[in-house]
Amino acid sequence: MTNILLGYQPLFDLFLLHLGMAYSQWLVLRAGVFSLATAGLAAVGAYTGGILVVSLGFPAPVALLLAGLAGGIVALGLSIPLARLRGVYQAIATVAFIQIVLSLNIYASGLTGGPQGLNGIPKTVGTVTLLIAGILTVYLMYTITNSRLGRAFDAIRQNEAVAASLGVSIVRHQTLAFIISGALAGVYGALEAFHSYALAPSQFGFTFLISILAYVVLGGRNTIIGPIVGTAILLLLPEIARPLAEARMLVYGLLLILVINYLPHGIADTLIERARARRLSARLAKSDSVATTATRN
Amino acid sequence: MLLQQLLNGLVVGGVYALFAVGFNLIFGIQRFLNLAHGAVFMTGAFVAYYTVEAGGPLILGFLAAIIISGLLSVLIEIVCFRRLRKSGDAEFGAILSSMGASLVIMTVWQWISKTQVVRFPFDTVPVVIFRFWGLRVSLLQVIMMVAAVVIVMIMAWFLYRTSFGRQVRAVTDNEKAATLVGVNPNRTYSLTYFISGALAGAAGVLVGLAFNNINYMMGEPYLLFGFAIIILGGLGSIPGALLASLIFGMGQTLAIAYLPSGLTTAFIFSAMFLILLVKPTGLMGREEAGILRGRR
Repeated sequence: MTNILLGYQPLFDLFLLHLGMAYSQWLVLRAGVFSLATAGLAAVGAYTGGILVVSLGFPAPVALLLAGLAGGIVALGLSIPLARLRGVYQAIATVAFIQIVLSLNIYASGLTGGPQGLNGIPKTVGTVTLLIAGILTVYLMYTITNSRLGRAFDAIRQNEAVAASLGVSIVRHQTLAFIISGALAGVYGALEAFHSYALAPSQFGFTFLISILAYVVLGGRNTIIGPIVGTAILLLLPEIARPLAEARMLVYGLLLILVINYLPHGIADTLIERARARRLSARLAKSDSVATTATRN
Repeated sequence: MLLQQLLNGLVVGGVYALFAVGFNLIFGIQRFLNLAHGAVFMTGAFVAYYTVEAGGPLILGFLAAIIISGLLSVLIEIVCFRRLRKSGDAEFGAILSSMGASLVIMTVWQWISKTQVVRFPFDTVPVVIFRFWGLRVSLLQVIMMVAAVVIVMIMAWFLYRTSFGRQVRAVTDNEKAATLVGVNPNRTYSLTYFISGALAGAAGVLVGLAFNNINYMMGEPYLLFGFAIIILGGLGSIPGALLASLIFGMGQTLAIAYLPSGLTTAFIFSAMFLILLVKPTGLMGREEAGILRGRR
């Protein structure tokens, strides 16, 4: 039994790492920011953490905190231009940001190892650390969702004009969401660095961006459980059906098209909405029958 | 030397124009960012290569590439966008949906080409160099320039001088009003996607010939350049995309020639970021980058 579980430990680690990134993407989308910057911010965090430990000899926990800080600060800087843009323009600007990070990464080879990547990072993060990080992340997201902040995010996402007229500052809330998302991406980038011995610049490129987006979209963008469901399904799918592992990107592509067209709210969100609607209609039917008996009497 | 670089840049810019005009045409008509455009571009290059390899003449390969890329683009519209257009939240959905299409097309070509880089046979375009005023121009560059100018002119004639072009511009302006006066929007969209795909396919063949390095990843950098170009020219504006392509082609060539190598990409995208920050509508775009959204 333990042997079977041990065999799946790397997959579980990967799940926890990607879940954190997925939440980073989920949070900005939830606040109505159409940003794809998570990949770039994760690269910033990963390299900050890696360089601090390898070149400067920082202890891993300190480097982890600083990586989160770096992600948050870069996100803060990025949020200033993003606040002036909307929709597609935000998406394009953040894709440009990812490209800038990627090419600077390759250019500054003295610092980052360039195309060869950063090697020899001591492995200090195991499943237990990742599990603790995962639980803390979900807890943080849950707290945000159920606070005034989460409700403000929802209002902004659904209609900016209405939110503004209710006295919710769009710029302030979106900036805050973006900073939290950046710090989260930074921390998880560093966790990935401390988990896998080496970093390569291409690791945080287009494939990474698409995977993270696919997790959030498949699972659902508006409930806390969405990213968990999406990440689990997309990571388990190639494991369950081995032939699919060859065509992982094909499967991701087809799923993206199908989910966006036929299940635009994602799997978890759609199920939750259906359950809610059923409960509501059941309650309505009950009160309806009560009402009819009342009029009959 | 500078003049030579500018000339090279102009030629590259012409090819970028083929790519970016199609990209921007779709954005102009539907407000969708078609991320599968790079994959359509790559399809053009592969179709031309396999036609030439099977013994066909290059011109046949070029025509086959244009037609198949155009049809692929129409297919993308039907599969990825048609349902989305009717739902409210299409802006976000279209990006993801076309990203999915791009992944599918890339995987298929990866299988067909067995992840290999393929190259046109050496003498597909004879190596002839013309010299004048101290400049060097190869036959290939002449072909690229002529093809780009002719194709763009055909497209401009189609859009601005035919009844179909009026329909496209009517639908771009206001879909409901156009439907009221009897324009079939679905047919208009299909034709627009065909034009867009055909332009991308033509660009794919020309790039394939120029750099002779055809692989399943080749669309990605052009898609990113396409972003930069349509931001510079203004999202949705065809003349803007044309002008921006030429500026971009020359700017890129100069950056490669005179900036430290490896910084070109960072330079291009930083410039693009700056444009977004200072003038998000680009050279000829409409005012809309910062409008508040009120969806659903």
